[in-house]
Amino acid sequence: MAGTTVMAPTATLDSPAMDEQRDEAKRDDFVEQAMQYADQLYAAAMRMTRNPADAADLVQETLLKAYAAYDSFQQGTNLRAWLYRIQTNTYINTYRKQQRRPFEAPLDDLEEWQIGDAESFTAMSSRSAEAEAIHRMPSGIVKDALQQVPVDFRMAVYWVDVEGLSYAETAEVMETPVGTVMSRLHRGRKLLRGLLADYAREQGIAVQDTIVKEKKP
Amino acid sequence: MSETPQATKDCTEARAALEEYLHHELCAEDAADVRAHLAECEECSAEHHVGEMLTAALQGACKDRAPEELRAKLLESLRAAKASHA
Repeated sequence: MAGTTVMAPTATLDSPAMDEQRDEAKRDDFVEQAMQYADQLYAAAMRMTRNPADAADLVQETLLKAYAAYDSFQQGTNLRAWLYRIQTNTYINTYRKQQRRPFEAPLDDLEEWQIGDAESFTAMSSRSAEAEAIHRMPSGIVKDALQQVPVDFRMAVYWVDVEGLSYAETAEVMETPVGTVMSRLHRGRKLLRGLLADYAREQGIAVQDTIVKEKKP
Repeated sequence: MSETPQATKDCTEARAALEEYLHHELCAEDAADVRAHLAECEECSAEHHVGEMLTAALQGACKDRAPEELRAKLLESLRAAKASHA
């Protein structure tokens, strides 16, 4: 990266004054780089907290923590993922505790039948009708549906599908094994498909008589 | 679609790998297998298309931008942090 010009040629020649200067340049550099992610941090914070005031507070807290911890950031590694991890931790440690929803974590252990099966939703009409319905879905509805998905599943979907993080990067951000990311992602997407199919049915999109026949008790 | 045991097995394997395929998480060889199956199986291809549409819908729905007043607040608090650090 062209921006990492703050490195001194050799460490042995550094005076404390030079250290200080370099430290300051590094911190300026951080502010500039971190501010480039303001939109993305805010969007992720909106997914986590689900309201603008908490999201704004969360982003601010995240950047201040990141600023304070910037010495521990390894230059050349993924700043975006590092910021997301700090934001995830901050959310868990403050907002999530406040919200007192202790039942979200054990969701990882839910059985498939409890989650519902996307295939059965799809069987209600044809898959091409489902794809078409999703394609035509107003973005506000999609956003609302995502916000209804439990937070761990929601964020796995968000990191991978919206932010385009790899499973490995998402595992780092969420501090879970890759297998857990895959399971959260799968379940989150399934839930979403179910919610969107419900909405489509309510709106009379792609509803066919065969639905009733195919619906299992 | 033909309902031979081999076709069913191919579909099961492809379905199991579809999400990783969608997210470009498969190695080249496995991705090629899925791609080849999708080319000849309408059902699995339609399922994959639903997955693509879902991802596209999510990307379109989550375009929040940090409000200007938040940006200003962030810069201000980072400057304050810098001042207290120095």
